[in-house]
Amino acid sequence: MRGHCAALLAILALLPVLASSDAAPARSIDWREGVLTGRMVPDIALRTASGGAQRLSDLWRQGPVLVTFFYRRCAGICTPFLEWVRDALQATGGPGREYRVVALSFDEADTIAALQGQAAALGLRDAPGWTFAITGTEELAAITGAVDFWQRRNPTTGQYDHDALLVAIDGQGRVLRAVLGGPEASGRLRNLGAELRGTFVPFYRVAGGASWRCFAFDPATGRSRLDWGMLLLLLPALCAVTAALLLFSAGASREP
Amino acid sequence: MTTRPASSQLLIWIAITFLLFPVLILLGILMRSIQAGEISALQPWFYPAMTLHGVGMVGVWYVAAMACAADVLSRHVTLPPALGRLAIAGTVLGVVLLLACVLLGRFAAGWYFLYPLPLKGEWPLWSAVTFLLSLTVLGATWFIWSLGLLWAISRRFSLGQALGWHYLAGRTDPVLPPSVLITTVSLIAGVAALVSAVIVLALFYLELLTGQASDALLMKNLTFFFGHTLVNLAMYLGVAVAYEILPEYAGRPWKTNKIVVVSWNTVLLIVLVAYFHHLYMDFVQPGILQYIGQVASYASAIPAAVVTIFGALLLVYRSRMRWNLASLLFFLGLVGWAIGGVGAVIDSTISVNARLHNTLWVPAHFHTYMVAGLAFLVIGYFYHRCQEAAALRESKGYHQLLIVLMTAGAYGFFLMFYLAGAFSVPRRFAVYPVEIGHGASFAGWAALFATLFLVGFVLTATEVGRRWRAALSSAT
Ligand code: HEM
Ligand SMILES: [Cu+2]
Repeated sequence: MRGHCAALLAILALLPVLASSDAAPARSIDWREGVLTGRMVPDIALRTASGGAQRLSDLWRQGPVLVTFFYRRCAGICTPFLEWVRDALQATGGPGREYRVVALSFDEADTIAALQGQAAALGLRDAPGWTFAITGTEELAAITGAVDFWQRRNPTTGQYDHDALLVAIDGQGRVLRAVLGGPEASGRLRNLGAELRGTFVPFYRVAGGASWRCFAFDPATGRSRLDWGMLLLLLPALCAVTAALLLFSAGASREP
Repeated sequence: MTTRPASSQLLIWIAITFLLFPVLILLGILMRSIQAGEISALQPWFYPAMTLHGVGMVGVWYVAAMACAADVLSRHVTLPPALGRLAIAGTVLGVVLLLACVLLGRFAAGWYFLYPLPLKGEWPLWSAVTFLLSLTVLGATWFIWSLGLLWAISRRFSLGQALGWHYLAGRTDPVLPPSVLITTVSLIAGVAALVSAVIVLALFYLELLTGQASDALLMKNLTFFFGHTLVNLAMYLGVAVAYEILPEYAGRPWKTNKIVVVSWNTVLLIVLVAYFHHLYMDFVQPGILQYIGQVASYASAIPAAVVTIFGALLLVYRSRMRWNLASLLFFLGLVGWAIGGVGAVIDSTISVNARLHNTLWVPAHFHTYMVAGLAFLVIGYFYHRCQEAAALRESKGYHQLLIVLMTAGAYGFFLMFYLAGAFSVPRRFAVYPVEIGHGASFAGWAALFATLFLVGFVLTATEVGRRWRAALSSAT
């Protein structure tokens, strides 16, 4: 309805742009994260920084997997992004036994040595629960396509323009939840980290925020406290008592 | 036999109720038939039908109960006639809007239109807006009606007197009929429920106009504050009428006393927080409210219901009860209220609710006290007033047959809901998938029992109708 109309208009307005190949996706972050939930992720073959070979399903069969994308030569967000991921996850206990993180390179030029370099740069060489990996051309296309990971190579610099995407996958290879974006999404990533460790997270922020909330949720601490909306629940009773008192005092000139 | 003319406004309410009720029952039978897999071509109409049936039934029996309570009230206080006319006009307008949004717009968000569903459905935006407008008209009308009746009470009683506080101090002057006490309690709580509706509607309109979203938890709380409380109060208004009329058949008075005052004042205190039991599954609701909900659900059911049922039994026991269609319906209505109430108390226990939440157990209990409780009481009162005005000969055997038809049909129909609920069949499923395929056979039997009830009701309505026509000629 309202949202649909707006979305439809947006699509219509953007059709020419979308048609001109590889512009950055125009949808809102909430929308793009939301559509991924429930998608099946292809079971690709991985070659890891330790030189071993594994399938993605070998990992997800042991528990949930958080997949993210990077490339070694990135002069832009990759390293700070991965640092942020590392720290945000660490704040909620970090990966290890409960879940694993796969940082997958999407640059076919990356080698095992490049993976080792990236892991070392982040201080994650032998960190429990972390896997740095590369995969084959078709498999890379399959997985980036399945999770709508957007990237575009700049022919002059050789650098990639790309999404900062994290996708949590369950034991059957289905997307549990996706997080798109960097530090402004810290709260959501911390929630996700806690959730992957089996902690129940009952609160999620909705896009745009609500006018009168029952709770104010603090993503930094993960706690919530009562907000003004709860007071609205007292209003009906208050009005009823006031109305009764007013009516009956006005009717004080009783009939015989 | 002396006759007492009926008020023309009550006669209009009788016509409205008896016109709408069978149509809404047919929608109920339609739903059960679709669930039984009998008429799958009509499946797309299940949810619009459910919405119209739910809002329609709640609305019809609320206004019918208000009309009966107002009629009883008019024996004790003076009501401004314009108030009743406004109530009729507003209700009819609201119903027309409701019919339009469901039949033309296929609006189907269910009777409590939980936020944000009305704004997110398959139906066109105009039908959601029409639905909200319909509720606005109905809410505003009933709000003024409630305040008007309270004002009429205030012309004769002070607030303390209307709530019976002087009985607590041992005084019985002025004499307060229990019906006035219960009506006062229900109307004050009703004003609170309607204010809650105003807030919900305002937040919906705010979103429509500015796009500003609302807090889903707040909306759910407010919606159930309104919905649960209103239904609950409709029941109490019906009970108020029973307090007034049953004694006339028993030939003994049923007076206000300390216990009656205490129990109904308790109701006023806690009926407003009982609705929390609708949010047991909402884990973001603060835990303390869940416990308040459980305690209040028990506490609002037990004193009033136990005191009333006990009082009714004492009234009837060894009295020279004059049993006719009206008194039988009053008595059975209180019994239905009690039985449905037991079902409700079971479900409002948190540990049980974890199993029964959103199963057919929920419609089972509220249909018991709405159909075999409130509707019986109201139909009883309608018959009582028409017969009082028309004084036609009553055929005892035939009336007993009608009672048997309606009671057997109704309880057979409830039983299928209870059984299906106990066997984990969820509510609000148009089609039962294989895992809960057993739901379909319960639905088939329920459709048959409901048809039996409908036949009983139509014959009863014909009996009331004959007296209604005679009453119309002498109406005041
Ligand atoms: C005797 C005739 C009646 C029949 C055959 C009937 C049938 C039904 C059926 C089949 C449902 C859907 C159950 C489901 O969730 O699968 C339903 C729901 C409902 N009924 Fe009735 N009913 C009757 C009387 C009443 C009365 C007197 C009321 C008065 C308040 C009422 C209020 C409701 C409400 C509020 C719902 C829930 C709608 C929703 O979930 O949004 N019904 N009824
Ligand atoms: Cu990068």
